[in-house]
Amino acid sequence: MKVISIKKNPTAAIKESIKTLKNGGIIVYPTETCYGLGVDPTNQQAVDKLISYKTFRADKPISIAVFDKKMADKYVTLNDTAKNLYKEYLPGPFTIISKSKGKVAHGVESNIKTLGIRIPAYEFMLNLIKEFNSPITATSANVSYKKTPYSLKDILSNTSQKQQELIDLVLDAKTLPKISPSTVIDTTLDDVNVLRQGDIILKRTHKVITKTQQETRTFGEKLVSNLIKKKLNKPIIIALQGELGTGKTQLCKGIAKRLGVKQEVLSPTFIICREYKLTQDFDKLFHMDIYKLANAQELLDLGFREMLKGHNLIVIEWAEKASKIIKEMNKEAFIVWINMYHKSETERIIEYGEYS
Amino acid sequence: MKILAIETSCDDTCAAVLENDRVLSSVVSTQVSFHRKFGGVVPGIARDKHKEFIDPCVKKALAKANVTMKDIDYVAVTYGPGLAIALEVGIKKAQALCKEFNKPLIAVNHLEGHLISPFLRDKNGKLYSKVEVDFPFISMIISGGHTEIVLVKDFGEYKLIGQTLDDAAGEAFDKVARLLKLGYPGGPLISKVGEKGNRTKYLLPKPLLNSGDLDFSFSGIKTACLVSLRNIYAKKVSKKNKKLILTQNDPEYYDSKDMFFTKEEIADFAASFEKTVADILVAKLLMAIKKYNVKHVSIGGGVSANNHLRKSLREAFADKEISVAIPDKRFCTDNAGMIGIAAYYKAQRKEFVKEPAKLDRNPVLNFE
Repeated sequence: MKVISIKKNPTAAIKESIKTLKNGGIIVYPTETCYGLGVDPTNQQAVDKLISYKTFRADKPISIAVFDKKMADKYVTLNDTAKNLYKEYLPGPFTIISKSKGKVAHGVESNIKTLGIRIPAYEFMLNLIKEFNSPITATSANVSYKKTPYSLKDILSNTSQKQQELIDLVLDAKTLPKISPSTVIDTTLDDVNVLRQGDIILKRTHKVITKTQQETRTFGEKLVSNLIKKKLNKPIIIALQGELGTGKTQLCKGIAKRLGVKQEVLSPTFIICREYKLTQDFDKLFHMDIYKLANAQELLDLGFREMLKGHNLIVIEWAEKASKIIKEMNKEAFIVWINMYHKSETERIIEYGEYS
Repeated sequence: MKILAIETSCDDTCAAVLENDRVLSSVVSTQVSFHRKFGGVVPGIARDKHKEFIDPCVKKALAKANVTMKDIDYVAVTYGPGLAIALEVGIKKAQALCKEFNKPLIAVNHLEGHLISPFLRDKNGKLYSKVEVDFPFISMIISGGHTEIVLVKDFGEYKLIGQTLDDAAGEAFDKVARLLKLGYPGGPLISKVGEKGNRTKYLLPKPLLNSGDLDFSFSGIKTACLVSLRNIYAKKVSKKNKKLILTQNDPEYYDSKDMFFTKEEIADFAASFEKTVADILVAKLLMAIKKYNVKHVSIGGGVSANNHLRKSLREAFADKEISVAIPDKRFCTDNAGMIGIAAYYKAQRKEFVKEPAKLDRNPVLNFE
């Protein structure tokens, strides 16, 4: 293990780092938070070496540090949320997660093909990455579950001889101020594929305008009354689309009231699915908010097929996230599609129709 | 009395061993990769990881407490509220253990765990929350999935006296973060980016504050935030348009998806929002104390780890003769220790599951 002071020998430190990284070695480097561990994330052997240093990692991914947004663009797809965060908060103590382009070694991306990117607000490191002209890994230099390292001593006193031998170069900047590790931000949930007109062709479409929350609830009650009148012999899916605050949960409150649910119908967002046992008309009411699902497959993981086996009513908020799967269920279930929009602070436009 | 407690209502697999009200061991296996931590469940992963972690988690809890199943008197498990497919994993494990070792089963309401957690002691008998609470007391449970005020008259005697009528407080943090394009998880981010913001820059309404009851509407705040942000954005991008533009047919309608804000705007808005939420929670808590004339208060649930809220609570009660138990952050979030202590008192009330094999999960369980 070679130690170079970045204050005394900045030029040598950069030169030696690049040599080490190119040879698949591990460097320990300072940042505006704690000491980090750097290898070339596109070099599989180097990444494997890094993982063996960190010991127990389960399937935890490894973030990478880049010089600027342009360099990040090569490795991840940046959506509007990510672009704005880069503009406002980077460089800085944030790790921003986006969809990976698959250009890094195995073990760097997460198992859902996302990748965390960091631009450290630490001038020396930015110079080093710029000079290297490629990203380096950005994981803290401690062994998993051990103390966050702010000095070389923190690292040495918590690692075995064997682990220390894996480190090729230490860029020493003495003791760093104790600033917490970077905050991780996931931007990939904002990749909602909004359905456009024509994506879903509905029969018998209707449009109503509700002026208050109460009217939105009453609409929900009437909708269910009409569905009950149809005496359908299959489960019903009510697929809801509409941005935040358009009254999706209010609508579901009306639906639940008509079905005789006595308790307060609360938002299912956190838990994704709330279910209510019914005593009239249907067996169960399932109320889902699938905004946080990473993919449509996770709807099936929730037991969606089983829900369709009984005489159940299933309300799905953010249905556009799994529209393909929902559409495929049109034989097993009767599907009503609803789009909700803001008209004014209190008024809402509700468009709805059957999907078949 | 030794109790093995299991909790799998959300996305942490938890097991604990208690000797009466003392925690001998408490193991939490967090299953979500750090890419998806905080703020809710990922269903498929939740079920699969619970299945994977439940056996080692129980084993570890027993080993850490230095006991075997033979030493255990009762098995306790959370049966709701929570995600059905997650609850099932814990219940199945508890049923299997009861059958194999012939132990009585105690079914615990996850929320009762939060209520009783101020009574948790470490293995030396020291109270984790440091503040003694006595009956009757008011407990406020604030998390990503719940916002409730409960009057705790005695062990086993609970009355729901106020709750959110729509979104939970923690959920409002996530949703406002979504409006600010902050990414996920929103709660901790709002606190972080708003740390140095101006908490009085934006005046947000406090829905139901003067409703006279103890209910909340955090969905109302979320919608108010959307209106307010649209106003800020409209003024920013179009100097001519001082008027709020809301209809989609309007050529200058701003979909929340298209609105972006600067670091300064975000900091002030996040700080103002956080203050508004804390103000509402504190105000309703004070109302509850007055109405029910209690001398003790406790809080629980993930949002009770929010620093601004903890500070606001301490300030609000500084000049009052009321003791506030703010639990150790470890016992604010999900854990099996609190399930174990609820079970300890249930065992004294002889509340056992008559037919363990028939215990079913109740995802929307609440108090009366």
